[in-house]
Amino acid sequence: MIVSWLGRIALYLAFVGCLGGVVAQARTIRRGKASAALLWSLVALVGIAGAVGVMQWALITHNFSLAYVAENNATFTPLLYSISGMWSALEGSLLLWSLILGALVVAVVWRYRRENTDSVVAWATLILFVVAGFFLLLMIGPADPFLHNPAHVLQGAGPNALLQDNPLVAIHPPLLYAGFVGFSVPFAFAMAMLITGRVQERWPLEQRHWTVIAWGALSVGIVLGSWWSYQVLGWGGFWGWDPVENAALLPWLTATAYIHSVIVQDRRGLFRVWNLSLAIATFAFTILGTFFTRSGVLQSVHAFSSSTLGPVLITFFFLTVGLGVGLIAWRGDALRTPVGVDHPLSREGLFVANNIIFVGFAFVVLLGTVFPLLYQAINGTQVTVGTPYFAAVAAPAGIFLLALMALAPVVSWRTVDGPTVWRRLRVTAWSAVAVTALLLVAGVHHWPVLVAVFLAVGAAGSALRTLKGVLVAARRRGDWWEAWRAPSTAGMVVHLGIVILAIGIVVSTSYTTRTEVTLASGQRTVVAGQVIGFNGFHQVATTLEHQTQLVVSVDGAGLRPAITTFNGRSSQAVGTPAINSNLLRDVYITFDAVGGTGAASGAQVQSNVPAGSVVLGVTVEPLLAWLWIGGLLVGIGSALSLGRRRHREEVVA
Amino acid sequence: MKILGSFRLWLVAVLAVGVVAFVATPSASTWQARAAHLETLVKCPSCQDLSVAQSNATSSLAVRHEIVTMVKAGDNDTQILTTIERAYGSSVLLSPSVGGLGVLLWAAPLAVVMMAGAIGWRLRRRR
Amino acid sequence: MRRSISLIAIVALVLVGGLAVLLATRQPLSATSVQSPLLGKQAPAFAGQELDGGSFSLARERGNIVVLNFWASWCTPCKEEAPNLSTLAWQEKHAHRHVVVVGVVFNDSLASARAFERYYGSLYPSISDPQGTIAFHYGVTSPPTTFVINAKGVVAATLIGPASQRQLQQVVARVAQ
Repeated sequence: MIVSWLGRIALYLAFVGCLGGVVAQARTIRRGKASAALLWSLVALVGIAGAVGVMQWALITHNFSLAYVAENNATFTPLLYSISGMWSALEGSLLLWSLILGALVVAVVWRYRRENTDSVVAWATLILFVVAGFFLLLMIGPADPFLHNPAHVLQGAGPNALLQDNPLVAIHPPLLYAGFVGFSVPFAFAMAMLITGRVQERWPLEQRHWTVIAWGALSVGIVLGSWWSYQVLGWGGFWGWDPVENAALLPWLTATAYIHSVIVQDRRGLFRVWNLSLAIATFAFTILGTFFTRSGVLQSVHAFSSSTLGPVLITFFFLTVGLGVGLIAWRGDALRTPVGVDHPLSREGLFVANNIIFVGFAFVVLLGTVFPLLYQAINGTQVTVGTPYFAAVAAPAGIFLLALMALAPVVSWRTVDGPTVWRRLRVTAWSAVAVTALLLVAGVHHWPVLVAVFLAVGAAGSALRTLKGVLVAARRRGDWWEAWRAPSTAGMVVHLGIVILAIGIVVSTSYTTRTEVTLASGQRTVVAGQVIGFNGFHQVATTLEHQTQLVVSVDGAGLRPAITTFNGRSSQAVGTPAINSNLLRDVYITFDAVGGTGAASGAQVQSNVPAGSVVLGVTVEPLLAWLWIGGLLVGIGSALSLGRRRHREEVVA
Repeated sequence: MKILGSFRLWLVAVLAVGVVAFVATPSASTWQARAAHLETLVKCPSCQDLSVAQSNATSSLAVRHEIVTMVKAGDNDTQILTTIERAYGSSVLLSPSVGGLGVLLWAAPLAVVMMAGAIGWRLRRRR
Repeated sequence: MRRSISLIAIVALVLVGGLAVLLATRQPLSATSVQSPLLGKQAPAFAGQELDGGSFSLARERGNIVVLNFWASWCTPCKEEAPNLSTLAWQEKHAHRHVVVVGVVFNDSLASARAFERYYGSLYPSISDPQGTIAFHYGVTSPPTTFVINAKGVVAATLIGPASQRQLQQVVARVAQ
């Protein structure tokens, strides 16, 4: 009972902090005097941190007087999974979200503490307090994490078994949330600019650091999520176009567009409407994402249980979009710029194309995700929109984006100078042709793969060329540190990461071989050029589990796909795939069935297989590791952007 | 915009590689290739969003068997998909049929492309 | 410029408003009736140990309608469905209508399964399926999946997803006819 009230009081304190912040900011806006925003934000943070602390303590000590702990924890839950249990279900996930948001509000207030009488800063801070207050209100109201459990249970229901066998559960959600929550800042500033009418100022550029960090966290979070799926799910896939996955992709798409589009505002003062819209859209998509995950309206392996939060979240979503759109329409005149894009193939023009592709793709993904709901509302029957549709629209979008990545760095601002572009592009262009021709000769006859490689080499070439230019300039100046800080370095590193990732996706999805082989002990077979051998069983028993491992060799390397039974006493067979990974291909092996009467292993018994033999599921995916390498590079590039030098001073339009 | 000689040469090279690639690409005429393609379009009836190509559940194996039988019997793709839809319900196809409301799903990307074209054209005109 | 912004704004608001209304009026997911390959066929026989002792055999239930529910403790929709199944079991027991509810837990640990049963106050027995053989024979990969077997032992309905109370009542009523 006490624990429940302690947690609740902490939440109330946090809410008071937000409320105080809103009132204080309102007074600053009215009277122009500095407010105690920092104090109020600290009160809010202390409150949320306290609530999180109470929850963590309850989880770690397996205190089942909290309903949330009883439902997501058990006495045998290890420490790491007790901690991560906080965000494995709905109410607790809101605690994590609010914690990050609370810390962010403090950071923003601190960063702009010297300008906190500035009306844009004041309004932005007020909006951030409102958003934080909203999430706190959700926990104080419908989604109470500190609900008391009146029954005296000696054992909890335990966490979701899928979520407690991989330490990634401690990293993937916090990274994702850091991304989502981070987008509140450009949103708040965009709204503040619109409200105050000061839309000609450089606030979006100010925000770029925040946005890129949030974007980087989200990107790495998404890639880690794919990696996790790949390791656990057993069929070698890494992205299912599942509604909750799409919900994380949507803000990523508009955020990527925003990061690029702001460059044009920096250089030439253009795209103000685009940038404000993209900032608002990104935040709106994060709210929509929380709706998909928590409303129970769409089926997803990632979804939390359904709750009454649905209508509340949708209302907040609509208010956000409605206010944003309304404000932009209202300020339409002030957003006009005397200059425009001079030519569709100038760099600005390519950035317009970039915006259109990202926003268009986001729109199509959104449509595909909600289409089953729309269809059922109108026709009453169920349909599924799955990978074939999304892949069909993603492919052309990806192709165009690769082409843009190849062209934009070599195209000039404002003008189109064919010979200059060609001069800059020549080496890259010929490399692209050469690599494609080589692949063709080597037997790659799948033309989508060839097109993708052609453009990817182009994109990589342009990125490398830019980086080379930066290094040459740095060497000339004798200042290597300058190379890291050049405006384009981080971005080009990220582009390289994306190119590697793209190649990994295209090649692995086009050339996957999936099959089942039956092997007797000592026998070998060849699947897609990989030599698979089975060399017998190996039993491993610990106090917690009994594992039947298969000693398998893949191209000479040892693998132990296994079936694990817990608690010794005859139950449960959980398959553990084994992956052998190198730069060229991943071999993914599952222990599918055993022959004869092999009951001892806990595996599926298949009667038409001779005793002592096993059936292995073998999936060979070329270049799959490139996804993770590309993702790592994207993360590194995003981190590099922290040192990015600001571009020259404001260009007067 | 003057087209440089070296650019022209490069274009020829790209075209050559492109033609060879296009000609060399095997068409999906073998029955295995057709069946494999169709399997990616049908959802495993007892799974959440896996296709029958990806899942080894018994219901998935049953559907795969049916697809192979129909492909060997010479039915075309549309007939096969319609038969499966009738047997397992409308939600078993991973990409809704284009008729009826499904046309919206394909009209949307088209609309995006048209809008991109319109914006590009307006930018050109403004020069 | 102003006119085109206003136009886009209005279109955006209408679309987003429509989306919001659509999403706000959706009901949380419940089970879908699916065309399992088992429909109309004899339900595969099975027998097993119940979680809290006792044994169960499908063959012994000939003459009763059997609501067979596959679940696991890690499956979130199963948590929503569990009270509905218990309610159904309770109602049918008291109505003496020869309807039996039985669960099969697979791909799970005994400890978690028992904890789940106890926590959600299960009023019907569940059988453990340690090697997933029963699930395999019924073609189940993702819980919750529910089969309704009529008095002659033929599979009459299959539901995938968390079944609401009304759905359970309706499907049982339909099969009982």
